[in-house]
Amino acid sequence: MDPLFLAYSYFRRRKYQQCTDLCSQLLEKNPYDQAAWTLKTRALTGQVYVDEVDVDEEGIAEMVMDDNTIAQVSRPGTSLKQPGTGKGAPSQGIRPMSQSGRPVSGFVRPGTQGGRPGTMERAIMTPRTAHTARPVTSASGRYVRLGTASMLSTPDGPFINLARLNFAKYAARPNLAKALFEYIFHHENDVRNALELAALATESVQFKDWWWKVQLAKCYYRLGMYRDAERQLKSALTQQEMIDSYLYLCKVYVRLDQPLTAVEVYKQGLEKFQGETTLLTGIARIYEGMNDMDNAVKFYKDVLNFDSMHVEAIACIATHHFYTDQPEVALKFYRRLLQMGVYNGELFNNLGLCCFYAQQYDMTLTCFERALSLAEEQTLADVWFNIGHVALGIGDMTLAYQCFRLTVANNNDHAEAYNNLGVLELRKGNVEMARAFFQAAMVTSPHMHEPHYNWAALADQLGDLQSSFNAAKRAVEAFPDHVDSKELLKQLRHHFSLL
Amino acid sequence: MSLFKARDWWSTTVGEAEEFDHGCLCVANIDNSNDELDKIIIGSYHGILRIFNPKPTKTEDGGWSGYKPEDVLLESALPNPILQIEAGKFVSGSDNLHLAVLHPRNLAVYSVSVTSGAVEHGRHFQLKKAYEHKLQRTAFNFCYGPFGGVSGRDFLCVQSMDGTVSIFEQESYSFSRFLPGALLPGPIRYIPKSDSFVTVSSSWQLECYKYQVLAVATDTKTKEESQNMKSGKRVTWDWCFNIGEQALDLEVVNYPTAPPSIIILGERNIFCLTDTGKLRYMKKCEYDPSCFLPYASLVEGSINYLVATHTTSSLMVYQDIMLKWAAKLDNVPVEVRIGKFQDLQGIVVTLSDTGRLECLYLGTDPALFIPPVPEARELNYGEMDREMAQLQKRMKQSSNKPVIMPNAKQEDDLQILVQVNPGLDDNSVATGLEYEDPDPVPSISARIQLKSRLTIENITVSMHADWPLACNCGSYEVSSVDPSNPTENFVSFFLKGKVLPPTLTASVSANYTSATGAPRIATAKVKLPLKLVVKPVLPVKNAEFKVTLDTNKPPANLNDIFPDLLGENAHGPGAALGFQFYGMGSIVTVLASKTSQRYRLQCDKFEALWLLVKDLAGRLSSHFNRTKNDNFSVYFTGQLPLQEYFDLIENHFEHRLNAERCKEMLSQRATQFRAIQRRLLTRFKDKTPAPLANLDTLMEGTYRQILHLADTIEENNQSQEMAACALASGTHLFCYIIKLWTNMSQDEFKVLTSSITPVVSNNLDQGWEERVDAAVTHLLRTTLAKASKDQTLNPQPLTMPEDTTKVKKHIALMCDKLGKGARLVEGLPQNSAVNMAPSPRKEKKTKISATSKTVMENGVIDNSDDTETLIGSQFGQHKNKHLKDQEIMSAMNGLSDLSELGLPAANIPLEDEISEKQRKKHIESMVPDLDDMEVHTGPMALED
Repeated sequence: MDPLFLAYSYFRRRKYQQCTDLCSQLLEKNPYDQAAWTLKTRALTGQVYVDEVDVDEEGIAEMVMDDNTIAQVSRPGTSLKQPGTGKGAPSQGIRPMSQSGRPVSGFVRPGTQGGRPGTMERAIMTPRTAHTARPVTSASGRYVRLGTASMLSTPDGPFINLARLNFAKYAARPNLAKALFEYIFHHENDVRNALELAALATESVQFKDWWWKVQLAKCYYRLGMYRDAERQLKSALTQQEMIDSYLYLCKVYVRLDQPLTAVEVYKQGLEKFQGETTLLTGIARIYEGMNDMDNAVKFYKDVLNFDSMHVEAIACIATHHFYTDQPEVALKFYRRLLQMGVYNGELFNNLGLCCFYAQQYDMTLTCFERALSLAEEQTLADVWFNIGHVALGIGDMTLAYQCFRLTVANNNDHAEAYNNLGVLELRKGNVEMARAFFQAAMVTSPHMHEPHYNWAALADQLGDLQSSFNAAKRAVEAFPDHVDSKELLKQLRHHFSLL
Repeated sequence: MSLFKARDWWSTTVGEAEEFDHGCLCVANIDNSNDELDKIIIGSYHGILRIFNPKPTKTEDGGWSGYKPEDVLLESALPNPILQIEAGKFVSGSDNLHLAVLHPRNLAVYSVSVTSGAVEHGRHFQLKKAYEHKLQRTAFNFCYGPFGGVSGRDFLCVQSMDGTVSIFEQESYSFSRFLPGALLPGPIRYIPKSDSFVTVSSSWQLECYKYQVLAVATDTKTKEESQNMKSGKRVTWDWCFNIGEQALDLEVVNYPTAPPSIIILGERNIFCLTDTGKLRYMKKCEYDPSCFLPYASLVEGSINYLVATHTTSSLMVYQDIMLKWAAKLDNVPVEVRIGKFQDLQGIVVTLSDTGRLECLYLGTDPALFIPPVPEARELNYGEMDREMAQLQKRMKQSSNKPVIMPNAKQEDDLQILVQVNPGLDDNSVATGLEYEDPDPVPSISARIQLKSRLTIENITVSMHADWPLACNCGSYEVSSVDPSNPTENFVSFFLKGKVLPPTLTASVSANYTSATGAPRIATAKVKLPLKLVVKPVLPVKNAEFKVTLDTNKPPANLNDIFPDLLGENAHGPGAALGFQFYGMGSIVTVLASKTSQRYRLQCDKFEALWLLVKDLAGRLSSHFNRTKNDNFSVYFTGQLPLQEYFDLIENHFEHRLNAERCKEMLSQRATQFRAIQRRLLTRFKDKTPAPLANLDTLMEGTYRQILHLADTIEENNQSQEMAACALASGTHLFCYIIKLWTNMSQDEFKVLTSSITPVVSNNLDQGWEERVDAAVTHLLRTTLAKASKDQTLNPQPLTMPEDTTKVKKHIALMCDKLGKGARLVEGLPQNSAVNMAPSPRKEKKTKISATSKTVMENGVIDNSDDTETLIGSQFGQHKNKHLKDQEIMSAMNGLSDLSELGLPAANIPLEDEISEKQRKKHIESMVPDLDDMEVHTGPMALED
């Protein structure tokens, strides 16, 4: 059997390790075997390949050193920086914010976790919990990890010494250059060299190959040169319309904080590629990020028309129904996810909550029991919190108190639990404890309005009007439509003016 | 993710450790039987060809009978690996289907024939080779079709690993051509309509070559066509389409219901093109496809195709781009086909690379993942209730305690015994010292013993001594301790830093895992002797700070009190001793009065007195309290050294302010640095580079400033550490003096030391000043408050104060209240035992009764509650000499000026100055024998 044929066969079957070994043997015999060389680059790339569209890690440095900002204060509904009050979305009092201060999404993906703080100082000072920790710059962080992963796959030094590569020679050979580029970009994570190769290659094909333009854009994007990336992608699209080009272009617009343009581009893409689920999902994600739930759900439903197995769409629609007071409908969606084979703590937790609100009490505890046994360390705290919530609902304060304590034991940054513990302590009459808990909640997540308001109300009762006023102001800042805080503020203002 | 699973109709596992890949499965009516039922033909890389005819029957329980041995029609071992098999009309003069088998170096065509037997299972299948072509190059794959528009015949086109195509017109070889730019071959197919070949090349584009072009592109010089060619004319494609990725498979479809199309399965996308190379649609896969198969759709204008995936191993059914069905498979197939068996149309046949052959159909059997049932226990409700009640009780108990802490005091498995050697080490191990001293710096060894009740393994013992003390060994590990032989280790402690040590204790702790698996820590405290940090020197007559201790026994000879620290004073009269801290210049002199029952300690540094005061008090009480009835006690009757103490606070706070200022400056510089960086970045990014306008110089300058600031912060940190140590010592001394002054009980002293805490930590969030201020304010508002109406609690946030006046005021106020007899613990009667400072004006003083305590009413401290005036007067008293001192300190820091903090000179009340002098005189009169001693020691000092 021809070893090259066998290696190729292993490659097809995604047995990259065997393929690499065979190619290495071939290259030992004949170092100039181009076919084996190409195959090995492709196998090595395949081991670490992640679709670049889905990679979205915005480091603090990128966010703060971003010199593409158009307006510091944008009009409502045109920016992802300030998720608007939302059309059709339930208020913040009902649908909570994530730990980083963004509306909770039904599906965790890269980028749903991060907010966009205004300054470097604020970015560094934001509570850095396990859930909001973000890399200082995306040039380090994840990519470095990927880089080391690639080194693991080649224990005896790098396969290709990029420093000694004559890019001009390789760029002129389209059959070698494309595989080589993917190797440099994905396996070595050396964007600079990849860019050099792509620039030479696109020149050598007289700028007629859309593929090279997209690759150039990928490099520019990684280097933070979004406008150049945009230009390359637009040029590629005039040459030949491809789904990936549209996706990359929208990614660039999202990074430039132009969500409306991105939606526009997605819609152009949809005209050519009707019913493409990745494009539809992209639109839905943007609307979700802007807290425009009506549109988000509409597009998620469109996704399901074309791909009824789309987990993200199902999860997001379910979350929407849950927070719009339709737990029975949400329950149906979550059940479908369960039938499709999703089996994790988060799902059972959601099922348990839906059952509780849909008054199917017999299932509630069983679901939570499952959730507890399946949950990982990070989600365990949330499960306990929800059980505590259920306990509150049935009036079992002792159980609720113990659940919240367990929440805090599992995740000592859990601001919601601290807040609820404070309320429970207040009910017991332990003012000092309550105050301590509210303070802890306020410090761990300043974006939540509840602890601020509770603190204000407590301070008001104790006669510490100044603290009360300050806290109420913070509450209104976090949630402008909170009626109770506004009432309190008004009352205090009135009081102060009398003095 | 799929709702349903594919239903098994018939399946078998073929061979052992045989490998299969794409091309190894073919479904066709290969024996040309009249019922037109399909047979499954598979060939492995090990060269074994098998033909199956699945004939399962329904069993009684509704399932299918599955694989039976008689389903195998033929099994034949060929000499070479089988790369691909196809069925077609490959033999001239015959319309029957024949089997073409591709081996690495040859292409063979076989006919499969049946010899009927008498009964059904008597049938006999035979494989007969029709013809064979030797190949010059290693083959990769082949395609077939009526090349050149012949009808009723299929020609073969073999593609080799180096991208050469060789055309065989059935039994005869026709020609070979190089495809341009070939590196690794891709899938190749024939389009009958346009009589051309399509393949996906290494340049990741779909290329279409006309058969005519290939055929005529012959080199005119060599008439002979052979496979063994070395060069050839460059052929050009008819059209091409750039798909931007390598293709896994390629199919050309021509169904009556749909326009003729080319469907390409890429690694990441699925493309559908018209047969002229225009994109009809594409679909981005959100999974890794492994193989696919298009088939005709019932809907006009659309094409159906099956896609199998890696990792999730599901089978998707698409109609154009719409997902119609998804079913779960058990394996990842390398090839999928559709066949007609036993009147069942459209059975899906899949083959995995390990040889699992399955015939499936889609059904609505849920692919339900059955979650494992949580461990079902026999529920005993009574027991559960009891356990619950017990747990509730325990929780209730623990929740009554304000702080949730594991305070279950269990008997420890491990015991640490530490014994400090009575003498210093013969050979000092003190290394890495931060100071220089003319005398060798001593060290002292301690013996650490570990005793256990059970056998404990992997114990980590770590030593910790508060800075500036250090240990020669940070931690060591003990592999195991059992009850019979305790382990023993020696470590040495010594003075390392150039700071006054606030305490002389070190701690030893052992980490281990108990028998129950819980992590446990055992600790032991070590008291180090004074001689580790001081050395005896000649006493010094004059010193700035003095502390006088009263006792109720006639003074002892100091030589008896400090037998181990006499040095060259050994033969003196025992009325004065001098001690010097290693590495520090300050000398502490201890004087014992000959006539009165007093001892006096003096030094140039207030905080240096602490260790000596403590040690002296301890030594005196052990000297006099030999029996139980010796009621020796120590009092303090002088003026509280408030001002000295406040200076320490001031100094420490100044360092904190400096640190804060530096931090602010650093953040400002860092912001500036980033701003310059950003501007530079935009300039460098620009296509037309603008001049840098000296931004680089500015950046360099800012960078230097940042570095310099960082150095300054580092320096300030070090001096802050020193100030913190001094403050800690001072606080110890201050609290101790208050204790002696007011005759406090241990409980009260505990409250006092936890309010005015001697733990001074350098912490960014909370500083010592605000913590002490908060604690003292709390005391003043609660236990020390006059009436219950004052007892309001409204704690201020713990933020760094602007200056130290508040904390000083509160401490002074507290001392005042304590002096008036207030108690720190509720429920005790008013303290009448305060040893008030003898006021110089009402001199007649102190009736000391031997048994009870000194009773003395109100001395200096004003009766009025107005603390402001109180503080003012006290500031005034000491202002002169301390201003100088502060200036020196601030000059040393070099960071700031403190002069503004001193009070204006005009404020000094005249009478206070007088009283100061008077007091000096008074004290001198108390120690009348000082002069004698000075005469005695004078010459000796000169000799030095």
